[in-house]
Amino acid sequence: MRILLDKFTKKFDDTVVINDMDLEIKDGELMALLGPSGCGKSTTLFSICGIYQCSGGRILFGDRDVSNVSSQQRNVGVVFQNYALYPHMSIYENIAFPLMVKKMDAAQIKKEVHAIAKLVHIGDLLERRPSQLSGGQQQRVALCRALVRRPDVLLLDEPLANLDAKLRLEMRSEIRRIQQETGITAILVTHDQVEAMSMCDRIALMDEGKVLQVTTPNDMYHNPQTDFVASFLGNPPIAFLEGEVAGNQVLLNGSQLKVALPSSIRQPDNGTKVRLGVRPELVGTDRGNAVAGRISFIETQGRENLYDLTLDNGAVLRSIQAVRSDISMGQTANWNIDTERVLVFDTNGQRLL
Amino acid sequence: MRQRIGLLGLGFMAPAMIMVVVFFLIPVIMTAFFAFTNMGTATGVSGGEYLLTPKIIKQFEANQTLDEKVITALGSSSYIVNKTNLARAKEAGLKSKYLGEIDKKLHGKTFASRRQFERALKKLKSRPRNTRALIKSTAHFSNSVLNTRYETLGDFKTALSNNGAILAEPQLKIVTQASYTGWIWTTDNFTTMFSKPDTWFVAVNTLVYVVLVLAFNIFFGLFLSLTTFYLPTGQSVFFRAIWLLPRISPPVLYVLLWKWLTWDTGFISTVLGWFGMAPYNFMLGSVESAWTVVILINGFVGASLGMILFSSAIQAIPTSILYASEVDGANRWQQIRYIILPQLRWPILFTTSYTTLSLLTSFEYILLSTRGGPGGTTNVWALEAYFTALNNYSGNLQYGYGAAMALVLVTIGISVSLLYLRLFKFDDLVTRPRIES
Ligand SMILES: Nc1ncnc2c1ncn2[C@@H]1O[C@H](COP(=O)(O)OP(=O)(O)OP(=O)(O)O)[C@@H](O)[C@H]1O
Ligand SMILES: [Mg+2]
Repeated sequence: MRILLDKFTKKFDDTVVINDMDLEIKDGELMALLGPSGCGKSTTLFSICGIYQCSGGRILFGDRDVSNVSSQQRNVGVVFQNYALYPHMSIYENIAFPLMVKKMDAAQIKKEVHAIAKLVHIGDLLERRPSQLSGGQQQRVALCRALVRRPDVLLLDEPLANLDAKLRLEMRSEIRRIQQETGITAILVTHDQVEAMSMCDRIALMDEGKVLQVTTPNDMYHNPQTDFVASFLGNPPIAFLEGEVAGNQVLLNGSQLKVALPSSIRQPDNGTKVRLGVRPELVGTDRGNAVAGRISFIETQGRENLYDLTLDNGAVLRSIQAVRSDISMGQTANWNIDTERVLVFDTNGQRLL
Repeated sequence: MRQRIGLLGLGFMAPAMIMVVVFFLIPVIMTAFFAFTNMGTATGVSGGEYLLTPKIIKQFEANQTLDEKVITALGSSSYIVNKTNLARAKEAGLKSKYLGEIDKKLHGKTFASRRQFERALKKLKSRPRNTRALIKSTAHFSNSVLNTRYETLGDFKTALSNNGAILAEPQLKIVTQASYTGWIWTTDNFTTMFSKPDTWFVAVNTLVYVVLVLAFNIFFGLFLSLTTFYLPTGQSVFFRAIWLLPRISPPVLYVLLWKWLTWDTGFISTVLGWFGMAPYNFMLGSVESAWTVVILINGFVGASLGMILFSSAIQAIPTSILYASEVDGANRWQQIRYIILPQLRWPILFTTSYTTLSLLTSFEYILLSTRGGPGGTTNVWALEAYFTALNNYSGNLQYGYGAAMALVLVTIGISVSLLYLRLFKFDDLVTRPRIES
């Protein structure tokens, strides 16, 4: 079911947390709400499921305005960050709870619970109590409970935050599998860009209560509209170089180094101050224009190494390359920047195209 | 490792143990001890004396425990002139000339009554001129045991034999037992208690009182904590503070307020008066209204405890669990029934047992309000024990009987707590130590 936030605003007393937010989640889509801590992701999620009341604007499920519908009536499944399982109930009772409060008959409940438990692979845990499960198992139970009554919308609030790295990887594909099998419209709240990029159809990137950009992970990575978006996605993160436009080049501040502007962008006036966003994979390539610097840091990542290249004006470029034995700390290097793919921003952080 | 009781653990327990012994065990043992005596105002708590009174003799007559001859002998007040009595008179300071004359003229004689003895004495030359002095001097020759206190059993027995009553051993025993004024060991308290219909009436009253006030406390406490939980913070704090007032105000003041409220010149009657109702004393007007007032008075006091415990337990429930139940579709009632109440099991158990025990032994609010009235209809066990042992109109306080009543209460209290522990599966509730040693 499509979800539409229309000029949605949320205030707590006088604190405006979300201001005039517009966002559409398409039917059957898994949308990530990505943003730094405190930007209002949970607040948005809680407002969609009706725990919080809207202070302004509308929330639509399909064509139905649910802004003033209680959370009980919205038919939304939520997985909370700490799972919020009912500690005094068995796993079976936990999953059955949404059906039981609907007064479904016991035989039917049993069938549904077993079906969903099988889908999520926890069929053998139904007799236990939440405290007797591992974090990952609890997470699956929470997912079961959210899905069992076939909600129109599934909301996940940082569901993987409490899991270890391996389990997190496992659960990522698991959640994606279940979402695709059930075809449910889902919103995943996360502050982990890898999670957002690897699981979701689209990402809505938020900061300070505003949506900055909504697009597919791939597009967001390659075509960020602001430097904030560019810096939020990608690991290791993008590096910025400040400078001034001189012809079709940029003269870096406090340096004689020049970096060519991508040919695809509209040429800014001479003297315009710009920021160049250079992703690590663009440094040390076999084309583009070379810059000289000193290797100031080497981080081993296994298959690849991460190198910090400090330029003569103090700016640091990052480069990710296959492990090389010919480079050591303190050494000078003359590396290419793939200038055609460099991102150019104005001083306000807006992308220049 | 957990099986081993460390010395450190014992050290931490010691103050509690000492408190238990001093403030619980010793009083209980004392109560048990008093319960098997007939102590009271009449007997005192130390030893007693031997005092044969005409009343006791009348009882002997009525019960026919002794034959008539013995009874007349005991009751007789003959006067004998013999060595012992002369010596006694001398010691008391009577003139030796007078005594010498008595010895010479009347030695060995017995007089059946004081009249006769007096008449004989009046014939003596050295007798006191003053009639009152003369009458007083007769006392030393009296062999009556009636109304005379004897400090030891030996003295009493000698006096009895002096008196001329010849008593066989069993008869002697009956007489000494009946005349003893001190306390004795007995199980009479319990036989009397269980055979008295009043006891059963008070017992049923107590049951009604405990059950109704307990129910009121728990349900009203739950109601308050749940309603205040759903109120905005400022208001809920205000309402909780209001319901705390009965608990923190001094009982005398609190009951006084109820009196102003319920008496025939009080608030309720005045307000009802505006609508043409006759003034009515709700506190003592009828059995039903008296019970209602007693239960409300105690109920409002106790409800605050439940309210506080339940409120804090509800506050401790993670909000995300409450949110989860809402998005799972549970309405308010289902949320309370399936999410909140199960988490309140432990505080409810605690409040139930604690309140039951304190209600069993509490009587102060009844004492201050209805005083058990009207006509003893709101009397409860603890109040009855208090009246019996510590405070009653006749002034004859029966410590032993009161202690017996208290002992019954203690026994019931302990059994009830054991029952609760069973009923609520206390062992399950006491979680294992979080930190394993
Ligand atoms: N009940 C509240 N009253 C006042 N301010 C609130 C309340 N709840 C949240 N906020 C504020 O709203 C902002 C957004 O909070 P929210 O919980 O939505 O953040 P988030 O994006 O989920 O962050 P995180 O990733 O840390 O969970 C924060 O600045 C927070 O301080
Ligand atoms: Mg959050």
